[in-house]
Amino acid sequence: MKHDPRLIAAAVVLAVVLLAAGPAFLPPFYVRVGQLMLYSAGLGLAWAILGGFAGYASFGHSAFIGIGAFAAGLVESRYSGLPPVLLLPLGLAAGGLACAILSAAIAYPILRLRGTFFAIAMLGVSHVGAEVTNNIDFFQGALGLNFPPLAPADMDPAAFYYELFLAGALSILLISWLIRRSRFGAGLLSIREDEDTARMLGVPTERYKRVAFVVSAVLTGLMGVIYAHSLGYITTESVYRDDTNLSLIVYSLLGGMGTLFGPVIGAGLLVFITQVILGRLLDFHLFATGLLLVLLILMAPGGVNGLLNRKRRPA
Amino acid sequence: MDLIAQTLADGLVLGGIYALAAVGFSLIFGVLHVINLSHGVLVLLGAYLALLFSELLHIDPLLCIPPVMAVLFCIGYGYQRFLIQHAVDRASVNSMLLTFGVALMLQNVMIWLFSPDMKNITPSYAFNSFKLGPVNFDAVRVSALLASLALLSLLAAFLRYSPMGRVIRATAQQTMAARLCGVNVRHVYALTFAVSAAFAGAAGIVIGIILPFSPNDEGTWTLNAFVVVVLGGVGSPAGALIGGLLLGLVSTLTAQYIGPAFPNVTMFLLLVFLLLVRPHGLLGNAFAASR
Repeated sequence: MKHDPRLIAAAVVLAVVLLAAGPAFLPPFYVRVGQLMLYSAGLGLAWAILGGFAGYASFGHSAFIGIGAFAAGLVESRYSGLPPVLLLPLGLAAGGLACAILSAAIAYPILRLRGTFFAIAMLGVSHVGAEVTNNIDFFQGALGLNFPPLAPADMDPAAFYYELFLAGALSILLISWLIRRSRFGAGLLSIREDEDTARMLGVPTERYKRVAFVVSAVLTGLMGVIYAHSLGYITTESVYRDDTNLSLIVYSLLGGMGTLFGPVIGAGLLVFITQVILGRLLDFHLFATGLLLVLLILMAPGGVNGLLNRKRRPA
Repeated sequence: MDLIAQTLADGLVLGGIYALAAVGFSLIFGVLHVINLSHGVLVLLGAYLALLFSELLHIDPLLCIPPVMAVLFCIGYGYQRFLIQHAVDRASVNSMLLTFGVALMLQNVMIWLFSPDMKNITPSYAFNSFKLGPVNFDAVRVSALLASLALLSLLAAFLRYSPMGRVIRATAQQTMAARLCGVNVRHVYALTFAVSAAFAGAAGIVIGIILPFSPNDEGTWTLNAFVVVVLGGVGSPAGALIGGLLLGLVSTLTAQYIGPAFPNVTMFLLLVFLLLVRPHGLLGNAFAASR
């Protein structure tokens, strides 16, 4: 099926404009939900560059949220005299750089592990990151870090961060799309399908994996920096979160592992279910998430995308 | 000098318990190639059941080991047969996430049933201790260690000498060949899971005697089990024992000499180092799944 490229472009522009106009007509609660959906979608997409395309499912990506957020916070508090317009780019640069350096440093040992070993080793990375941040005074993880308010005076902060998350998620979507179309993306898919054969056929698997890992880490870190600003005050617990570690996998599972829009669909659905439907049933939260996970694995391992495809092409 | 001896002794006691808590995880991993992230929940379930039994019947918590193991044996068998079996043959991440989902649900159920507060099991001899040279031993810790070693030997003997143990080992080595020889692989899988759950429950009792526990600890025990298995090697009680003792020593030494907040950091660094230099674990059993 071929579509007219102009039609697609028009539809994309319309969708973006509609999304961007969201806060103007949504009630405040749904602006919050929208924020969370966009933030989650961005994280899910960044995770999927490594986890979905290359098949290296990380169970500890909240490490990069935390590293990005704390690096940004520490740098920004040192230059707190600067105007807010400069602070955010400064924070983003600091957070992204910290994630890039750290992920490049651990990429070599940790990417030698595969499958569940990689997943659990990443969980270890996030736990160690949390402990180090919490226990070394320099990082102020236990004490907490304040972030300066960035929103312009004439704008609702919730709407402002909604737009920032939207920009972040869209950029990551664009990057994922570009990667998916490129030779690099094809290489990552071949790693997911059969790493040893791919290497035998001349795909530079080691380099591709490492680049994907660093790109994924940096993008996660950047979303983390925006998230930290939207919270205004962070401690170790608010950024190094195990439920984030889990959610990132669930987004892809729910939407469809390895597909471009899978994490977006999954993040949207899961945030809607947990925030809107289960919002009042806090005692029931863990149970419901667990049940959803179990049902998902047993009944729909291909996620929403998989279900749709099965309907379309009965195999 | 005394401090070093005391630290080493504490580390060994803790290590014996880590080993017992990890041996079931190791068995499932070795035979089914499933990472059971609900292992920690099973451990805590054992601890809560023992608390219940010992308060109801007023008996020594260590005497609760047989009934608790029997209950968890049945739970484990059903759990594998009706849930895990459906995900065993799919990608390894799927079965891992399935067990994680179950872990979340059971953790929530435990919070409903037993409240999220810290609990502990207090046997009558809780405050007795004795000295061996310069080193102090608590009676509870020693009995916990002895129980752990006895149970580990029991499991090792079961796997080594009983016909069922031989079938389990055969399935772990060559699933296809075992099936060709007439082994009912599903039954063996479920049985392995049941044995593993029973030992997790026993470990829970031993843990409950020496440490406070709450439903939120399950992650710690699962992660510990994973580290022990990676350190020692997969699928054998001896590997779990070596891994457990090593982990116990490293964490007490770190807590004593580097800082009480850092055992996890050194543990993880040790783990990564070992995966790099000896990816098959210290005892050298092959990890089919790791590379």
